[in-house]
Amino acid sequence: MAERSQVISDGMADLLRSLRLEDGGGDAPAAACARALGAAGVAVSVLVGEDRVAELLWSHPAASERFENLQFTVGEGPGPDALRAGVPVVEPDLDRVRPERWPALLPGARELGVHGVCCFPLGVGAIRLGVLTVLCDEKRHFSDQQFDDAQALAAALTCAVLNGGLTGAPSTPGALPGPVGLNRAAVHQATGMISVQLGVPLAEALLRLRAHAYGSGLDIGEVAAEVVTRTLRFDDDGTGPNSPDRGKG
Amino acid sequence: MIVMARERRLAEVFVEVADSLIDDFDVIDLLQRLSARCVELLDVAAAGIMLADAHGELQTIAASDEHTHLLELFALQHDQGPCVECYRSGAARSNIDLTGPEAAAAWPSFAPRARATGYLTTHAVPLRLRHRVVGALNLFQTGPVPLGDDDIALAQALADVATITILQQRTLEQAYVDKSQVEHALASRVRIEQVKGILAERWNSGVDEAFAAFRAYARAHHLRLADFASRIIDGSFDTATIPGPRPAAREPRD
Repeated sequence: MAERSQVISDGMADLLRSLRLEDGGGDAPAAACARALGAAGVAVSVLVGEDRVAELLWSHPAASERFENLQFTVGEGPGPDALRAGVPVVEPDLDRVRPERWPALLPGARELGVHGVCCFPLGVGAIRLGVLTVLCDEKRHFSDQQFDDAQALAAALTCAVLNGGLTGAPSTPGALPGPVGLNRAAVHQATGMISVQLGVPLAEALLRLRAHAYGSGLDIGEVAAEVVTRTLRFDDDGTGPNSPDRGKG
Repeated sequence: MIVMARERRLAEVFVEVADSLIDDFDVIDLLQRLSARCVELLDVAAAGIMLADAHGELQTIAASDEHTHLLELFALQHDQGPCVECYRSGAARSNIDLTGPEAAAAWPSFAPRARATGYLTTHAVPLRLRHRVVGALNLFQTGPVPLGDDDIALAQALADVATITILQQRTLEQAYVDKSQVEHALASRVRIEQVKGILAERWNSGVDEAFAAFRAYARAHHLRLADFASRIIDGSFDTATIPGPRPAAREPRD
């Protein structure tokens, strides 16, 4: 009886297996994502710098980049909303959006020939890393399957950005799909504790936790439980074996 | 007589939820209260509400008490346990004997863990909206007294209220898919776990005590849990103003 599509499509599964964030091929990953999603376009922006400005990572086709630039220019739109609220903003038919919601953006989007936009935040809880933007074609419909596929892609991109794929730091080979289901409360609690111990943002704390688990061959849940029960601390002097920078900082 | 009192209490619960839904409400807070009401209205020791994430895995969204051992017991059901089966089939599973060989065979890590926590019987009731199942309500009993059909029907009614609560939540434009609402609820839940860790570390307390102090402050000041958590995380709220946990912190601040 349950009509749940909990399985991602074959096309998206293939894509997630082959996708590498640091692939050199320009906007080729975006083109592959758009194909797998059956979408008119795809763009991925990540938050960088002190001010957490959304920087375009890759996009396809040109209209996607122009739409990202438009959102950045006018400072409003589904991308900023998705980032602020940490929730997908799904508007496959922009003609049905109240004009006063994004007064500056909507006329511009129409000029660009953008029919609909669905934005999925990249992040874990309060960790905000970026946003996946999917442009919809004139069919103005976004299916459950597309929604699930886009969510899976956003989760995979989240892992990739957490792995340092953005900065070009070494990421684990084949790491993209990664541990998207961090489904234990202790993992998130430990993330919060480590962020205070090290005085670093939550994203970095989670990375340290995952790196420690990976490096010691332990389950992340077990390591998190040790942190929560205070048998393991991360407030070393930055030169310890747990440091991802191997003592440089 | 007892039945009358329960019906009156039940009516109050529905009014409470209906009132909350009018405002821009905090889904986590409301679901937590609903979990506590399950314990109060049914003869159960603990209740938890689980939602399926984008990958169809169950995640804990609220519990009648936030003790880590209980949360971890719910967490075990991301891949096995009565809730998983209830979510997949859409059918309630009631009066499951956790001490029996069937439970042990069906759920080799969940059943012993539940027993070790002191639970003898468990029940799983689907969170259903028409043909869609979004999660499950999980009940635990420490005694062997089974729940009757009336109790199960009441549990289903409470599960339906929980479903409405989740899917009524205002998203940015109201318009689209209830999946976003489920995701939003789950993201809020993760934020609360993260802030538990932040506060426990600042106060040098356990995460359970940190959460109790966090929630007490939020209640006293009418703050929504999810919003309050966000303000603590982004540093716009000075946590020194929150009274720390009782046996707390020799050094409340760093």
